[in-house]
Amino acid sequence: MKHNLGKMIRLFIALSFILLSAEDFTYDFHLDKRNPYLKEPVILTLDLKQSNHDVVLLFNFDLQKSEDYFFQRLDTKETDTHHNTQIHYVYLIYPLKSGDINITFDLIKKITTDESVAYSFSGDRDNVKGLVTIDTKITLPPLPLKVKKLPENTALVGDFRLIHKFKTDQAEAYEPIPFEVKIEGSGYPPLLDNILPKDVKFTVFKENPIVNSIHNIQGTKSSVLYPMALSNNRSFNLDQIDIKAFNPKTMKSYILTVPKQHFNISKADVNTLVDKIDNPKPLESDWSWQTTILTTLLSYLVVFAAGYLTAISVKWKKKTLAQKDDPFKKKIESCKDERSLLQVLMAADSKRFTKNIEILEDGLYGDGKINFKRVKQEILEKL
Amino acid sequence: MNEKIIQLKQELSKAVIGQETMIEGLLIGLLSDGHILIEGVPGLAKTTTINALAKALGLDFKRIQFTPDLLPSDIIGAQIYNPQDHSFSIKKGPLFTNLLLADEINRAPAKVQSALLEVMQERQVTIADETFKIDSPFLVMATQNPIEQEGVYALPEAQLDRFMMKLVVKHNSEEEELEIMRKGAAKSFKEVEKVLSIEELHSLQNELEKIHIDKELEQYIIQLISATRDPAKFGLANITQNIMFGVSPRASIDLYKAAKAKAFLRGNTFVTPADIGYVIHDVFRHRIVLSYEARAKGINADEIISKIVETLAIP
Repeated sequence: MKHNLGKMIRLFIALSFILLSAEDFTYDFHLDKRNPYLKEPVILTLDLKQSNHDVVLLFNFDLQKSEDYFFQRLDTKETDTHHNTQIHYVYLIYPLKSGDINITFDLIKKITTDESVAYSFSGDRDNVKGLVTIDTKITLPPLPLKVKKLPENTALVGDFRLIHKFKTDQAEAYEPIPFEVKIEGSGYPPLLDNILPKDVKFTVFKENPIVNSIHNIQGTKSSVLYPMALSNNRSFNLDQIDIKAFNPKTMKSYILTVPKQHFNISKADVNTLVDKIDNPKPLESDWSWQTTILTTLLSYLVVFAAGYLTAISVKWKKKTLAQKDDPFKKKIESCKDERSLLQVLMAADSKRFTKNIEILEDGLYGDGKINFKRVKQEILEKL
Repeated sequence: MNEKIIQLKQELSKAVIGQETMIEGLLIGLLSDGHILIEGVPGLAKTTTINALAKALGLDFKRIQFTPDLLPSDIIGAQIYNPQDHSFSIKKGPLFTNLLLADEINRAPAKVQSALLEVMQERQVTIADETFKIDSPFLVMATQNPIEQEGVYALPEAQLDRFMMKLVVKHNSEEEELEIMRKGAAKSFKEVEKVLSIEELHSLQNELEKIHIDKELEQYIIQLISATRDPAKFGLANITQNIMFGVSPRASIDLYKAAKAKAFLRGNTFVTPADIGYVIHDVFRHRIVLSYEARAKGINADEIISKIVETLAIP
């Protein structure tokens, strides 16, 4: 019995903590409209307030990304921190789909202590100390929107005006005519895939539109510039362009117009159209390159052969001259008797001519008879 | 040729392939009591040759590697104090040998090279106040490497003059190189055995004394010597400016002895002009001091010697 009572007390204490932790903060959503038109700006505000002041509370909040809507956070204000955290969020939302859509949220509650905060602050740039938190993902209920359809063929939503500009309505054939269309005003950014109809009978050169948008609590102030150039080889008409827009504030549709425009195109001198710098000459059946290659090849061969023969002749001449001018050979040839020949051999590399020296010695100092011419010839053959 | 010399050469050929110039030079040095300076790149079997010669003669052999930090006492020996009986004793250095290989002699400074002077000429060593006679035969074979000129000490003229011959050893021929390669790889070099005793060597040296040299040849040697000192007198005025100093009187003695030894090694009983021709370059080349002009022109001593031999008529 004693044990059961203890268990019950412990369970009660545990449940109390869960309830308390679930009630660490309160939140308050506010939408300025629940039933907007497609692409009509909706302002969402959220106030998070800490209710459990015993802990240090931090929040991570944002809208979940979705194809159903586009959002932009406009403001975040933290009016108090730590034990009494109070945060005010402001979002601008554009519904991108008609019908029922849900705005969903990501919210993470982060609980920490004063010691942890103090510890994290004790770090510096070179010694970063992390803030240790206990994170809890909070599931907030989605906010439903009932999005109204736009009138048919509506391209833009908001209060816009259109400005167009042609540089000229006179041009030469194929000369580009600069053309600009600028749509500016407040509302969903007026981005259009095509300003001009697709089936025009002239050439259109386009650049990416230049977009300037500023989001604020009233919506979005936008300015979109479409730079283009038109070109044709004969006179042409630019038909009137009508862009249907809808203003949700007045709940009225209106038309932005580019009036019909005629362009006079005069014939251009063909010579002035030819790109004389970059345009290559037309290909012709020209076989002269073969002759050029053959001539070049032949000249290479002639030069190679000349160089080769010169090198050989120089080598041969050098060899012949060396043989002719070898001073040692000359000395041997000029020797008239055994004694002078022995003397020349002694002065030279004696060891190389050992046998010849021995023969000569034998003739000079021994009893042997030698054939001087033969000995001389043998020595000359050795060289 | 003398049978003993043939045997000696055959025994040396077991360990050394080729290098006949070096072997011939060593034998000339050994027979005529001269020292040999060898110039050649490393790896030409210089140590092997002298080692083989020592083994073939049953002689003592020592090798000293000359280095810049070598001291005279490292080669001649020193007086060492014995603390036990408070006396000094002599520790003999590696000079006390029969055959000495002074490897890379030009790497040691002049004071070490000079330490060799006394022993090479007088065949005696003085340590402290005691003089020791070196046993005969005593042959110094010194080597120097011609390719390295930095960090070496050129041998002084006085020391160069004490070398009987300076041999220029070249690489082996391709055939010899092939044989060396095969034998070296197979480790098939045979052990050199003693083929000659010291007594037999002395008897060979005595035989050398009997080799006849004609008076005309003696005169020829003197003319060759004089031609290095005063070339113009012998019709060699064109080489006068190339010679700063001619050869010394030791050169005439050494040329005389070397020519006799060469004749002996060739198996002759008399010297011919060819014998002089065989050794004159080796005897003279380290003794002729070239002038600055000659060095600038790239003329070497061998060219000058050849010119002299060519010009002076042989008897």
